[in-house]
Amino acid sequence: MAVEFYRPMRLNNLNSSLQQEIREACDTDVEMCLECGKCTGGCSNAHIFDYTPRKIVQLVKMGAEETLMNMDALWTCVACHLCVDRCPSQINIPRIMDYMREKAYHQGVKARRPNVELFHELMLDSIKQTGKVAETQLIIKFNLGSKQYLKDADLGRRMFFKGKLSPFSPNVKDINQVRLMFIRTPVHKEG
Amino acid sequence: MDIAYYPGCSLHSMAHEYDQSTRLVCKRIGIQLHEITDWNCCGATAAHSLDHHLSIGLSGRNLAQVDDMKLNQVTTPCAGCFSRLKTASGELKKAPMQGEIEEMTGIFLAGAKDVEVTHLLQLIIEQIGLEQIQKQVVKPLQGMKLAAYYGCLITRPKAVVQFDDPEQPVSLDRLLQTLGAETVNWSHKAECCGGGFAASATEIVVDLGGQVLEAARQAGAQAIVVACPMCQANLDTRQRAIEVDRGITYNLPIIYFTQLLGLGLGFTAKEMGLNRLLTSPSNLLAVSMV
Repeated sequence: MAVEFYRPMRLNNLNSSLQQEIREACDTDVEMCLECGKCTGGCSNAHIFDYTPRKIVQLVKMGAEETLMNMDALWTCVACHLCVDRCPSQINIPRIMDYMREKAYHQGVKARRPNVELFHELMLDSIKQTGKVAETQLIIKFNLGSKQYLKDADLGRRMFFKGKLSPFSPNVKDINQVRLMFIRTPVHKEG
Repeated sequence: MDIAYYPGCSLHSMAHEYDQSTRLVCKRIGIQLHEITDWNCCGATAAHSLDHHLSIGLSGRNLAQVDDMKLNQVTTPCAGCFSRLKTASGELKKAPMQGEIEEMTGIFLAGAKDVEVTHLLQLIIEQIGLEQIQKQVVKPLQGMKLAAYYGCLITRPKAVVQFDDPEQPVSLDRLLQTLGAETVNWSHKAECCGGGFAASATEIVVDLGGQVLEAARQAGAQAIVVACPMCQANLDTRQRAIEVDRGITYNLPIIYFTQLLGLGLGFTAKEMGLNRLLTSPSNLLAVSMV
């Protein structure tokens, strides 16, 4: 294990608690970062990120919480997991992304990609209502919510004729069991 | 072999043909699938993006039902669902997390965390085996030149998934070769198609999916073979937008591996739902069906 011989220096003397917070919540230690950049080299979307994965790990070390919660990359990471698999120190960057996004979301930080956030919210709403996702209804709601009324109308027509769009909503029988999770999830309790 | 089956939302709607071909193929090769009684959505990208506990709870409930069915293994043909179930199974093995999720869901999860999770491709390769498949091939896929596409979540993250190789996976190639097809060497077999952004940030799918299509074209593939409904949807439904973006006509059918496995086992194209793909595979089928 790299732990045995690698002693990285600290980047700052701010005594940030973010690093510790991430270590506990995400079970990953950014202190182990070698700054080799393999995460960024492999990243599917580094070419459109405002902060690349290597920089994101450094931001965690610096305790730059505001920057992390406001960055565009939070909403354009495709969670392909290339970064964590290539990292010699197994730093779980996709989990850090999820953690910072969740934190930003529940603190009401305005998402840099409102449509991505809206899509997530509508999907979770569908699960809360029926326990499953009805794709057709989800897309219609998303187009209405994001005011893109004609988005993919032609594609929708082609898919309809291939029988890929179902007007029916599937349902979980014991829906209360699913709804309970939405009520009792720790983040909701705090809020 | 009795195994719990988690189809996931896509297989009951947009990817109906993946569900249909999966059920027929599994029955033929000796896998008895038992659909989870009252399964719920795994939460997909949305849940893990906004609420970690919720995403573990949603998959935890599904795993608990497998345990209730007295089965110790669940399989899913969706790479996204696979990743969520597998992640939940790993998280629930950590004592504090199991307690937190039990409190949240009100469901006892002691049995759930020990349910083995496999992707359908993994199940077929590891527990049925290529030798067994070979014996059952009645209609080899002669003359087909295919790009085996794994995408992200079937093989990554390695520490969680523990199947094949995350950088240079080969399992799907071997399966297609066993069926008599040729597979191409190409650069993008494990690159991302754009994941869950098809609707919310379409330009990302057009960008990343476009690179996958272009790489397959350059390698001389006649079709791309997938093992995930999201990869299929992104590469198939966005193919026209990608063609407009790149000024190239690809016309590459995006086919589920179970559909081709079914053809090799003697099922008809209609039984495998090949008529339901947006980009028609008729040229490819003409090659092989002579």
